[in-house]
Amino acid sequence: MTCDLLLRDARSVARIINLAHRFNCRCTRIDASAVSGATTASFAFDGPAVALTRLRAQIDRILAYEAPAGARLPEGTP
Amino acid sequence: MNGAQVAVAALEREGVDFIFGYPGGTIMPLYDALFNHAVRHVLCRHEAAAAFAAGGYARSSGRVGVCCATSGPGATNLVTALLDAYMDSVPVVAVTGQVRTDLMGTDGFQEADVCAITQAITKRNFLVDDPNQIAATLAEAFALARSGRPGPVLVDIPTDVLKAQVTEGAAPAPPPLPAAVPRAPDEAVRAAVAQIRAAQRPVAIVGGGVRAGGVEAFRTFVALLGLPHASTLMALGAADPDDPHALGMLGMHGLKAANKAVQRADLVIALGMRFDDRVTGKPDRFARGAAVIHADIDATEFNKIIPADVILHGDLRDTLEALVAELVRSQVPRFDAWAREAQELGGPLPSDRVAEHVLSATDVLDRFFAAVPPEAIVTVDVGQHQMWAAQRAHPAHPRHFLSSSGLGAMGFGFPAAIGAQFANPGVPVYAVVGDGGFQMCLPELATLRRYGVPAKVLLIDNQNLGMVRQWQELFFSARYSATNLADNPDFAAIARAYGIEAFAVADPRAADATIAAFIAHAGPALLHAACHPTENVWPMIPAGMTVDDLMEARA
Repeated sequence: MTCDLLLRDARSVARIINLAHRFNCRCTRIDASAVSGATTASFAFDGPAVALTRLRAQIDRILAYEAPAGARLPEGTP
Repeated sequence: MNGAQVAVAALEREGVDFIFGYPGGTIMPLYDALFNHAVRHVLCRHEAAAAFAAGGYARSSGRVGVCCATSGPGATNLVTALLDAYMDSVPVVAVTGQVRTDLMGTDGFQEADVCAITQAITKRNFLVDDPNQIAATLAEAFALARSGRPGPVLVDIPTDVLKAQVTEGAAPAPPPLPAAVPRAPDEAVRAAVAQIRAAQRPVAIVGGGVRAGGVEAFRTFVALLGLPHASTLMALGAADPDDPHALGMLGMHGLKAANKAVQRADLVIALGMRFDDRVTGKPDRFARGAAVIHADIDATEFNKIIPADVILHGDLRDTLEALVAELVRSQVPRFDAWAREAQELGGPLPSDRVAEHVLSATDVLDRFFAAVPPEAIVTVDVGQHQMWAAQRAHPAHPRHFLSSSGLGAMGFGFPAAIGAQFANPGVPVYAVVGDGGFQMCLPELATLRRYGVPAKVLLIDNQNLGMVRQWQELFFSARYSATNLADNPDFAAIARAYGIEAFAVADPRAADATIAAFIAHAGPALLHAACHPTENVWPMIPAGMTVDDLMEARA
């Protein structure tokens, strides 16, 4: 599963990595950079399908809690 | 104005009347700003109790509860209660002091990276490094805490930022932040109604989501259909107390009718609930023959445990109103016959009551709930007494029965009652606690005394960590490891030492009179009930099992 995210809070990168670990998923790629107050982050995860689904839902919740500035870029999903 | 004064002004703008806390070094500027302020500070005797009190305030009122603590140990003592609020979707804002900006990262005295520590247990947290951002940050924190699925938010402010003068105008009033509320699509509502019309044995399960303004809509929905309905621990009180189709609590220690009806259902209508493992037991055997309609405001919950056939993503009240509107567009189905059948699946609550001369906890609670006024707010701690109370209570509203449900945090019940009493000054408030959990927060008797809070404590003392003891008896070959509390202190004497009136009962023949005197007492009081030590909670579905494995007594 891949996720390309625009994060308001750079600390969410760490939160997402911790969540992946907790959900028994493996983070296979992380690219993150800070651009004018926001952070673009690109992740790739491996793991059981059900765990990836739960992880995706939790990531969406993190983005929602970052609203109103939170936004998601077009992404590639499994 | 300095940053602390701006912060207190921001709290006042949010309608905060009480803030529960404990002072310390880095939070002192905030305490100075609170001195003689209209926002009243309630001094608890431990930061954990302050945060639980804020939770009790929020759970019982629907308003945001606020707590504060100093940096380091003060902040870390909030952690359990913040997680409790996160698990049970309770709107709480915690304000913590932080060490000076120039000391951060140096392992300074009473320094803790509380934002890192609480990242996984808050909706968000903020470290404010600019006094000009305090007002806007607090406004965002409150908006986030109360919006969508409510929850805790922490705002950490270094002490030098609290002391610094605000330069960009005095306490600018930030514009209110819009709260995005999802709404279930019409197509999904029509699909749900089609499922309801096609069902023979539908059962609604209502969960904690109903607490956020959905109670009347829920009652209207189930009454319209004559629908049998079960409740999670979080939603007890959602049903009208006179509703004949209410099956009671579902789950591990739920009522037989509720568990069996859900297992026989051909349609489960899950309303603001999250299929917790204490409800489902073994998910792949839970309600095996049922289609599932799942309504929730948090999309994260869909298909997390139990797959849904129809998803209704939105505010529960809006969703229920949309379902009712769609149902009445043509003939409304009625399920009264099935509801009566579902009710007959139950029976009297089994109990372990022993000899007539020994006080039984279930007997005490039966008598207590028969005697408390219907408008009372009851908080419970965690353990056997919590389940016995949940089986027996008939709260008028979910905000009248407060439990640390998802987290199961011992030490919650008593401080939560204090918070609930501050939020509801004219309402009788009772904390039902066990001898284990009560000893985690005994010093809060001082809080009762200081503020004359009339909340009362019913202590079910079975001289054991009873629920753990029960599991040891049933699943660990009766090896009672570290659960015996036979050396408990004299609780009534402790209460009196704090200046709190104490009652005690050990003889069942005196129970009614003592409970009546306890309830009639005008101020704060403790009732110590010395109960039989080995009474178990029945029924019980062992962890990871199903209603087919339901136990009603020792083997």
